[in-house]
Amino acid sequence: MVTTEIDMKTVTTHLLILFCLSALVIQMPSLAFADEAAANSSSPATESAPSLQDLGFSQAQTQGNAQDQATLDKRSHMLKIHQRWGLATTAPLIATLLLAPGGKSNSSARSLHGGLGIITAGMYFTTASYAIRAPKIPGTKEKGPIRLHKALAWIHGPGMIVTPILGAMADEQRNAGQKVHGIASAHGAVGGITIAAYLASILAVSIKF
Amino acid sequence: MNWKTTITVVALALPNLARADSRWVLESSTLTYHISHPLHQVDGISHDARGKGTCHAGQCDFLIAAPVKSFDSGDSNRDLHMLQVTRGGQYPMVTVRTRLPESASSLSSVTADLDIEFAGQKVPYKQVAFQRSTDGARSRITGTVPCTVADFKIDPPSLLTVPIKNEMPIRVDMTWRTE
Repeated sequence: MVTTEIDMKTVTTHLLILFCLSALVIQMPSLAFADEAAANSSSPATESAPSLQDLGFSQAQTQGNAQDQATLDKRSHMLKIHQRWGLATTAPLIATLLLAPGGKSNSSARSLHGGLGIITAGMYFTTASYAIRAPKIPGTKEKGPIRLHKALAWIHGPGMIVTPILGAMADEQRNAGQKVHGIASAHGAVGGITIAAYLASILAVSIKF
Repeated sequence: MNWKTTITVVALALPNLARADSRWVLESSTLTYHISHPLHQVDGISHDARGKGTCHAGQCDFLIAAPVKSFDSGDSNRDLHMLQVTRGGQYPMVTVRTRLPESASSLSSVTADLDIEFAGQKVPYKQVAFQRSTDGARSRITGTVPCTVADFKIDPPSLLTVPIKNEMPIRVDMTWRTE
């Protein structure tokens, strides 16, 4: 009986020592960071850190593709050219508008206006060709100002075809000594709408509204 | 004698049981990059980041990653340009690695050294400050990483021939839970 009591006391003592040691060991990582400044700072991870595969990303998601990058590069390059030509086109476009001859214009004024119009149309279709030929990125859902930018092309695009045709008709009528009549009389209005849509298209992707 | 041995073994094993590796999982996140241009202030947001943290011997290693194309600025054309200039086709992921002491999980502010891999560059950011708040078993971490376009050797995109500013701070709002 006495032996059992001694044994129990010994065991209890040993257990207490072990628990104290356990508690100390548990605290050891914290003790390593004596002050708070050290405790809440960090260093970048080592080899034991999780990997991208641990996060559940597939190999297709994590591995780059030179072909994809090349397509993106080509697209951006072509759209940069589109942007530069588009901005440059505004110069002859506005000049054409400012030099538009009135109802009592002479032949040389009409020729200058027509020449500028041809330059504008040429630059315009060069601009458009870069946007049309730029590679499309699969899976892209269009949103934002680019939708308005593209929608306006359905106005200024046809306008840029119809306006010179109506202008040529009006010029022909004037050269024949006639007053501009019929569909040709819409030349000014169609040109105005085309210019307005074109400038709005630039503003749509330039200014946040 | 046998039961004493058993108790001793159990007692010795207790510290190790108590120190069993803990794991953190990123439950939800909002990562927001901000870029400035004279005509635009742009925020690109991603909610698609995934993250894990594994703790061992009082240290926790964290990895957070998000697909570059998951950042949405509200303009698909701009996002594709962003993907191009950041070489997102070739390097489709942005990853952040850090190591924190386990004791940091009880602090209200944490400073972390980050290794960010983005656009084919690995850039260290030292002593980035984050705030931490707790909601039950969840920890919310917020802060801003002071990234710049030049850090990652990104050719600054331009609009109307005017380039964006160099600063590209990334706001972080993450909710972690222990596993």
